Amino acid sequence: MTGPFAPLLRLQGVNKDYPLALTKGGQRLAQVWSLLRGNVPRHVFHALRDISFEVPRGESLGLVGVNGAGKSTLLKLMAGVVTPTKGTIERNARVGALLELGAGFHQEYTGRDNVFLACALMGLNRRETLARLDGILSFADIGEHIDQPIKHYSSGMVVRLGFAVATSVAPDVLITDEVLAVGDESFQKKCMTWMEGYLSNGGTLLLCSHSMYHVQKLCRHAIWLHEGRMHMQGSAADVTRAYLAWHEERDRAAKSRPSSHEAPTEQSAAGIYQVRSMYLNGQDSVEPLALPPRGSLTVSGALYSPDGRTPQVAVGVVRADGTPIYGVVSEMDGHELAPGADGLFHYAITFPELPLLPGRYVARSHAMDPEGLRLFDHVERPFEVGGSSREFGYTKLDHRWHRDPMSPSDE
Amino acid sequence: MTLTAISRAWQHRWLLGSLLQRELRNRYAGTAGGMVWVFLHPMLMLAIYAVVFQYVFRVKLPNADPSQPYVVWVAVTLWPWLAFSEALSRGTVAVQQHADLVKKVAFPQELLVYSAVLTSLLIHATGYAIVLLLLWGWGYEFRFTGVVLVGLWAWLVLGCAATGLSLFLGALHIFLRDVEQLLGQLLTMLFFASPVLYPLALAPEGLQAALAFNPLVHVFEPLRIAALGQGFPPWSTLLVALIGGLVLWIAGLAWFHRLSPHFEDQL
Repeated sequence: MTGPFAPLLRLQGVNKDYPLALTKGGQRLAQVWSLLRGNVPRHVFHALRDISFEVPRGESLGLVGVNGAGKSTLLKLMAGVVTPTKGTIERNARVGALLELGAGFHQEYTGRDNVFLACALMGLNRRETLARLDGILSFADIGEHIDQPIKHYSSGMVVRLGFAVATSVAPDVLITDEVLAVGDESFQKKCMTWMEGYLSNGGTLLLCSHSMYHVQKLCRHAIWLHEGRMHMQGSAADVTRAYLAWHEERDRAAKSRPSSHEAPTEQSAAGIYQVRSMYLNGQDSVEPLALPPRGSLTVSGALYSPDGRTPQVAVGVVRADGTPIYGVVSEMDGHELAPGADGLFHYAITFPELPLLPGRYVARSHAMDPEGLRLFDHVERPFEVGGSSREFGYTKLDHRWHRDPMSPSDE
Repeated sequence: MTLTAISRAWQHRWLLGSLLQRELRNRYAGTAGGMVWVFLHPMLMLAIYAVVFQYVFRVKLPNADPSQPYVVWVAVTLWPWLAFSEALSRGTVAVQQHADLVKKVAFPQELLVYSAVLTSLLIHATGYAIVLLLLWGWGYEFRFTGVVLVGLWAWLVLGCAATGLSLFLGALHIFLRDVEQLLGQLLTMLFFASPVLYPLALAPEGLQAALAFNPLVHVFEPLRIAALGQGFPPWSTLLVALIGGLVLWIAGLAWFHRLSPHFEDQL
């Protein structure tokens, strides 16, 4: 199926097996022979099993899962770097892949030379590359270093150049693998801004990340891969929540078995910032808190920091249907959380005279890392604003009616 | 399958240009002489051959024209051989050498082989032209139409053959790293089994018949005969060799694409 409404990517029953390393020479010979005859290798590792989904135009899809779950393999399959063992992958679009920033860069060559080869790898000719060169240079922001060999670059400069090149073609589908995990904060923010712009211009994004914050911020839907299978598929918020809950459960189980030598997961190894408690006006209840119109709301609680550094908290209010109304991170206001015992940090924020219209709302607290970049965990509590009103929307905006349009102060 | 592969490679022809440029610069990257080596290398080789064979061994070929000493005679076929053997050995390892690229970027991987082969051909063609001009400047005689026309033909045939064989061996090399080891030995054998250092007529008759199975014989012999003005090879010979080269290329490409989906698993 082609046409404007065809999905850009369609995977049907995709399996990917990797042959196990063969040690004996004779086995290697036999393997080549069987591949030539079109047989399937027997000693394999099942990297992916029965993957089927579609990526329509404008979709933003996140892939989450622990290391080794098959995320990178799946991205490589969609990028066309890897061929599926079974099943089909339909591509109806120009797919751009950022599997590794700066892949194919040669250390001895200047940034400019590398830009030309990287663009040629994406199928651009010299003229098309020249037309994009200014944009690439300004995004990468490496100034005169562009004519220096890459080996003299800092890793951040290589990453910026790689991102600038890969995004210069503005592909129909952009596939990125942990791209946002590298580079400094300002680069991450730049990438985020670029991706948000790309998405709002109708771009399609496939993102693989360990950062639930990035997945929630950039993706509408998400797929949770576990041991090569699609464990869960749904809205980014649901999938990341379930994934984090599973992680927490697993960490707790691991802690209760101190003798176990299970390899730590990437998140528990680095520690995970958690919301340990959350109160609305001092109450901890799953029943909605009743709030009078123009009442004041205080959200408070404690975050857990695994490494003793002061985490940031994001507090937000959403409608019962999930529509965001307002959110703020402590870091934005320069507020620092008060340290307590046992690695806990206390927070409290008051919204005086909450201007919300009557209805059901949910307050959320998110634990974030000290840099305010990654979002780890979140807890929510419902509340209800009472009263009745014939106004529309979610929130009351200050207003005043007047007769003379030129003079608002006039009564 | 091969046809779609060809069209895909054609869409990426700009990439071939970039790879070629890079490969050429790679050879001389970090050297003080840079591209001067392209000229220096053949001159030095020619000098070595001249000293060793002309003044030490004093090789005299039977029935040779006195205006065409042994060194002229060797030069005519030695450079095509160098181009062929280097193209083949570099083309065979090209994909494996660019494993980082193959694993991260989707593009027609045979372009890596093409660029390795083309680079070798280009460098040695330049060397060939220089050597022939030098020898001509010293007053040795060539048949120019012969050396240019048949020379181009020989380069074309050897290029196609080297490409086809490189695709074949290069794909195999991903699975069996023995290929590179074996190829070095095979090329040495092939060198002595080809009429590069000696004319076919010099070999005993029984051996001549055996050597005729070496396809390279049918490239080097016509080339030398034409270049030294001893006659022009029949068109049919030229055509058959050219077709043979193309068949090798296409067969190599089909083989390559049969195995290329599995490259990433092995690298």
